[in-house]
Amino acid sequence: MTLFDVVFSGNDAVYGLTENAINEAIAKYGEDKAVAFPDTAYSLPCYYGVTGTKVGNLGELKAALGVVKTLMTREQKLNDAFMSGVATALCAEFIEVLKYIDGATPYEAPCYGHLADAVIRELGVPLVTGDIPGVAVLLGAAPTTEDAVALVKSYQSQGILVTLTGGIIDQLEEAGYKTGANVRVIPLGKDVTSVIHVVSVAIRAALIFGNVTPGDAGALMEYTMKRVPAFVNAFAPLDPVIVACGAGAIALGFPVVTNEDTFKVPKSLINQPDVSKFNATSLEARDIKIKITNIDIPVAYASAFEGEIIRRKDMQVEFDGSRVDCFELVQTKEMSEIEDHKIELIGPDIDTFEVGSKHSLAYIVEVAGKSMQADFEPVIERKFHSYLNCVEGAYHTGQRDMFRIRIGKDTFAAGFRAKHIGEILYAKVKSEFAAVVDKCQVKIITDAELCTKLRHELAIPVFDKRDERLLTLTDESVDVYYSCIMCQAFSPSHVCVVTPERLGLCGAVSWLDAKATNELDPQGPCQVITKERPIDERIGEYEDVNEAVNKFSQGALDDVSLYSIIEKPMTSCGCFECICGIEPLSNGVCIANREYAGMTPIGMTFSELASMTGGGVQTPGFMGHGKHFIASKKFMKAEGGVARIVWMPKELKEQVAERLNATAKELYNIDNFSDMIGDETIAEDPETLLAFLEEKGHPALSMEPMM
Amino acid sequence: MPFTAKSGKFSASINTLTMGTGEKAIVLGGENVLPFYTFDAPIENAPKVGIEITDGGLEAEPECVKKYYEGCETIVDMAKKAATFEGVDFLSIHLEGGDPNGENKPTEELIKIVKEVAEAVDLPIVISGCKNVEKDSEIFAKASEVLSGKNAVMLAAKEENYKNVGASAGLAYKQIVGAESADDINLAKQLNVLLTQLGVDAKSIVMNVGTAAAGYGYEYVVSTMDRIKAAALQQGDATLQMPIITPVASETWGIKESIATEEDMPEWGDQEARGIDMEVETAAADLASGSNAVILKHPVSVATISKMIKALV
Amino acid sequence: MALKGLDIFKLSPKKNCKECGSPTCMAFSMKVAQGAVSIDACPYFSEDAKAAMSEATAPPMKTIKVGAGENEMVLGGETVLFRHEKTFVNKTRYAVDICSCMDDATIEAKVAELKHVDYERIGERMYVEMIDVEYDPASGADRYVEVVKKVAGEGRVLILDCQDVEVAKAALDVCKDAKPVLNGANAQNYEAMSKLATEAGVVLGVYGADENELFDTLAALEKLGNKNLVFNACTSSVKAAFATAVQFRKAAIKDSNRTCGYPSIVNVSKLAKGDSHLQAALLSLFTVKYGSIVIAEKISYAEALPLYGLRQNVFTDPQKPMKVEPGIYRINGADENSICLTTVDFALTYFVVSGELERSGVPCNLIINDAGGLSVLTSWAAGKFSSSSIAKFFQEQDIEGKIKCRKLCIPGKVAVLKGELEAKMPGWEIIVAPREAVQLVKFLKDMQ
Repeated sequence: MTLFDVVFSGNDAVYGLTENAINEAIAKYGEDKAVAFPDTAYSLPCYYGVTGTKVGNLGELKAALGVVKTLMTREQKLNDAFMSGVATALCAEFIEVLKYIDGATPYEAPCYGHLADAVIRELGVPLVTGDIPGVAVLLGAAPTTEDAVALVKSYQSQGILVTLTGGIIDQLEEAGYKTGANVRVIPLGKDVTSVIHVVSVAIRAALIFGNVTPGDAGALMEYTMKRVPAFVNAFAPLDPVIVACGAGAIALGFPVVTNEDTFKVPKSLINQPDVSKFNATSLEARDIKIKITNIDIPVAYASAFEGEIIRRKDMQVEFDGSRVDCFELVQTKEMSEIEDHKIELIGPDIDTFEVGSKHSLAYIVEVAGKSMQADFEPVIERKFHSYLNCVEGAYHTGQRDMFRIRIGKDTFAAGFRAKHIGEILYAKVKSEFAAVVDKCQVKIITDAELCTKLRHELAIPVFDKRDERLLTLTDESVDVYYSCIMCQAFSPSHVCVVTPERLGLCGAVSWLDAKATNELDPQGPCQVITKERPIDERIGEYEDVNEAVNKFSQGALDDVSLYSIIEKPMTSCGCFECICGIEPLSNGVCIANREYAGMTPIGMTFSELASMTGGGVQTPGFMGHGKHFIASKKFMKAEGGVARIVWMPKELKEQVAERLNATAKELYNIDNFSDMIGDETIAEDPETLLAFLEEKGHPALSMEPMM
Repeated sequence: MPFTAKSGKFSASINTLTMGTGEKAIVLGGENVLPFYTFDAPIENAPKVGIEITDGGLEAEPECVKKYYEGCETIVDMAKKAATFEGVDFLSIHLEGGDPNGENKPTEELIKIVKEVAEAVDLPIVISGCKNVEKDSEIFAKASEVLSGKNAVMLAAKEENYKNVGASAGLAYKQIVGAESADDINLAKQLNVLLTQLGVDAKSIVMNVGTAAAGYGYEYVVSTMDRIKAAALQQGDATLQMPIITPVASETWGIKESIATEEDMPEWGDQEARGIDMEVETAAADLASGSNAVILKHPVSVATISKMIKALV
Repeated sequence: MALKGLDIFKLSPKKNCKECGSPTCMAFSMKVAQGAVSIDACPYFSEDAKAAMSEATAPPMKTIKVGAGENEMVLGGETVLFRHEKTFVNKTRYAVDICSCMDDATIEAKVAELKHVDYERIGERMYVEMIDVEYDPASGADRYVEVVKKVAGEGRVLILDCQDVEVAKAALDVCKDAKPVLNGANAQNYEAMSKLATEAGVVLGVYGADENELFDTLAALEKLGNKNLVFNACTSSVKAAFATAVQFRKAAIKDSNRTCGYPSIVNVSKLAKGDSHLQAALLSLFTVKYGSIVIAEKISYAEALPLYGLRQNVFTDPQKPMKVEPGIYRINGADENSICLTTVDFALTYFVVSGELERSGVPCNLIINDAGGLSVLTSWAAGKFSSSSIAKFFQEQDIEGKIKCRKLCIPGKVAVLKGELEAKMPGWEIIVAPREAVQLVKFLKDMQ
């Protein structure tokens, strides 16, 4: 028998039962006898939701069964199986509603049977907000009472709503386990058909919260699939009726996990022989993420502790990357390689260390997720500093393999140990990067030899690879850029277009940062900008970039170039690290950084330049930018590139010299280019600067006139 | 040669939104011009004025307001009285006592007030929260339930609790969802987008884009509203076309210009006049910048602003 | 419309002679583009270049000066319709209305009342800058001159609201050196009035029964060569006044209709006679929307406190947030033993924080640092609110000599400074306060 055959036979069986039950009821009460569930405005919610038709009496119910019959096609195709599943569910609803005929109260505590609209409204809000992260539909009897209790408890502790149908109700009762809507464990009923009451919840949620029009079955199924995070755990043995019901569940988007070795449908009908793994398997199948709300450590955790400094005399133990081998690392893994929330300590714990001693430490945070990308690793890693600093009585400086951590005596005395570092990193990474990290585990290594080995064999190669990636990441090598409009609060029309070679002008937002921000907060300040329709490659102007800038500036700006400061230069907000401006006499540009208070050869100080350049207005000849951009090959590319730089404050020049020289060497084969650039010790006026440039043979003097 | 002005009529317009039900229902928005620019095109729905009472009742009101509620013993009495003041279009029940860091009144107690007031007056109702996001989620859910079918405004959902408030007020009970952000067009837009993604009907969202008393960082209020109206009308940005409601009273009746007594500040003169003028001048600026409704406290302020609106529309 | 600095530079002499006061031609050109200096400051710009540019660089709205000496003030000169587009430059000025029909006692009382309002707010003097003197034909010309004479010495710029040429001439004779506004031209008398104003060297105010008449009269006056004008928004109704103020400003700035590009006078005392609260509302309305001078029946502290605060806000350059004076602010009767809190000098931060501190009722010393007028996180990021800058500020201001308490609360957003501050300011206990000001009340109460 195929899976389809099983579904069809289960469906046929239930249909037969339903038909008999309706006929019997009509014989007894007549066709005009009213049928209804109590306390709902949605008639027979499942039937009403799927067809848009309300059923009021037995005659109409019979007619409805005729409609159900039309769903029961019998080709060996997936759709036929799904529709038969839906038909089975509807039949179950009919059987259940008949139980309520003549004002009967078919369900007694602990079973609920039909749930009132008021309950749906109450449960619906936390379902929509994610406070109830999922709905577990448990069907049948678990292998043992202990298994039943353990499974229900595991869901309950995650805030998941549990509904029970069949034998498991007796199992929980036997164990004396507390059930009820208030503890979010709801026994529905002992007949299989009572499972329809949870389906009814899902359907009414779609009608109430999803504004789905009754009868719009497509929209209904889309809503339940996307917005109702339900799944089914069906315990062996499965009979054809249960399989047919399962097909109905799958049609609504709810995967079925079972411990019976039966047919498998990827992502929908999943075999998990180990009932203790039902939880993990179900959550992964339904893509349910559990929010982490508290961090399990023995001391306080708050941003108020971020600025604490632990002095030597107060220090229990120290890990210092500058003296011994240490490193911190995020690594992306496959989903199957990670056991969520596993914290592993390799080596001795802190309590074996002498007071005031120095040790090696490495922690590797391994993450996996459908939307995780290796590019986010450094973004996550960079947050470790503030994550660990928020611990009361602990402090962290530096990064990569050059960090230092000190743990205070009081914190140690309160019970803080190595694994707590893992708890913090786990909780923070899972909560703050929930959009990309589905699973996370942490390895903490205090074994000195292993630290040394892994630092050289694992960490340093990764860091080198990342640095190389940053170097090779060019504007041409990526498909999209990002907007950044974080500054619009005070510079309303300003939009930064962040590209790999041109970070945000504040210096704080790189292309990778913007990419991660976009992924984590899709409605946030960083939006994807495509660059598929170039207008002028020389100045870096694109139709799609212009459209984006127009949109994000609310129409204040029509066009920008990415690589020119003369033609449609990018605007500046107010928080630029540097401003460059044309110095006409020397046919180049001067750059002033924010820290520089003196005069520039342009005849304006940084603050004078800033007042002309800021505010999101295009000012040809002047532009705000980040320090890092100075050595970029895209810096003023349209005007000839970095060779145009004729003057910078000494301090800034020293900061960028190495990278700038490398760029100049590559672009123009000029050695030590930074020595040709003037600074305030050489000139603060254009004439003296020009004399200096002529003496040095600065390339700008022989370039095309800028204007 | 006569003066010819180019029309500033836009092809886009602000959403219309009905508050309340029955004869006293009011309509916000609908205009396709900047605030009060009737010379560009007629403004069908004039901005509206609400009066605020609080769960603190008469006792919590400033001295100069108390006298207008003479004889009122309960909050319901106050609500009935407030409904009779000149120029009142709607009633706002400000449940500030719910704040866990303040009086921390239980939700049930506050909801009882809401229920009683709603039964006693037929004006459209705004429920203003206590500013604590968790408590507000609870208050709005319950208030939405007891005000079922009344088309009331829940002021307001914020970024931190929009899911709760949106789901309960907007989805479960089909009330009007207030969307509150702090003086930033992008945050306002983001919240609207998030609410609509949640399933809340964009046409039943009203924005509180942030306000301040005149003099207290009011430049951000002006610029935020200016920019939102420009985006909504000129750019036709549908995610910002929601009408704006601005709670003025809760801002102005807390600052020293309004509450310092004459004994404390003799040179400033009469306290009541100061309180009214602070409220009136802030409200006038809000309306000139784009608010479709303002919430005031002093009956004279309500009458004055209502008069100004009538003179302008 | 607006010429970019680079375009101006291209036409400049490019000789960096510094005679204009700017160190380079580039710097000069940029300032001209901003409207900060006149192109005439450069002796070497060719006439052709100037002519080519004058039209382009001429502001869409005239900048008009009224008053003399220390009372001189500037009206108009706006280049945008909304402050976020760049900034508003010349703030609205307020006048109180007196009339020659009033008796001396009434006038004296009114002058005393308006002069009573005179205070400073964030470095700006707040006072009623002008007096509008309305001519009442029934009480005669002599009485008008007498009243003008009476108020001329009060240190306020006068608006001579008089459409009778002879009476205006007599009034001008007693006060023209103080450069009042002669607010009296209309469709009938404009030629004579213009002559009078030009001879006296004063700004002429123009009336019109409606927008068309007003526009035509302005155009006629321009034709006579008088561009030293202000116009009166129609007084027939609030709606008409608002329409004139908005439409003329829009026409000037958006549609380059230069005839509309003059400052406006809005007389709300006429629009809402006897209703002081409605006048307060209208004062606010016309501050936000395009009143250059607004005249009211009275401006006491009640009207002034919100109004001047609003004006200060609206006319702040979005690029340069308002700053408060750094120093110690003693709140709720704090003394040298009261707890200290410190934050930045960004005006909004100051107002929000001091408001919450006042609400707490706890006496405390609020120490405002010199942080360049930036918000907490911005100034921290820019290095202007760091442990060294705070420590240095405390030393410069001799805070330890002025305050004995050694508990200092820092904003929760810069909790990172705690350790460094403890190191740099020995003897101080550094306490991390909440991240948001609204949490301060609870924080202070809990601490007690």
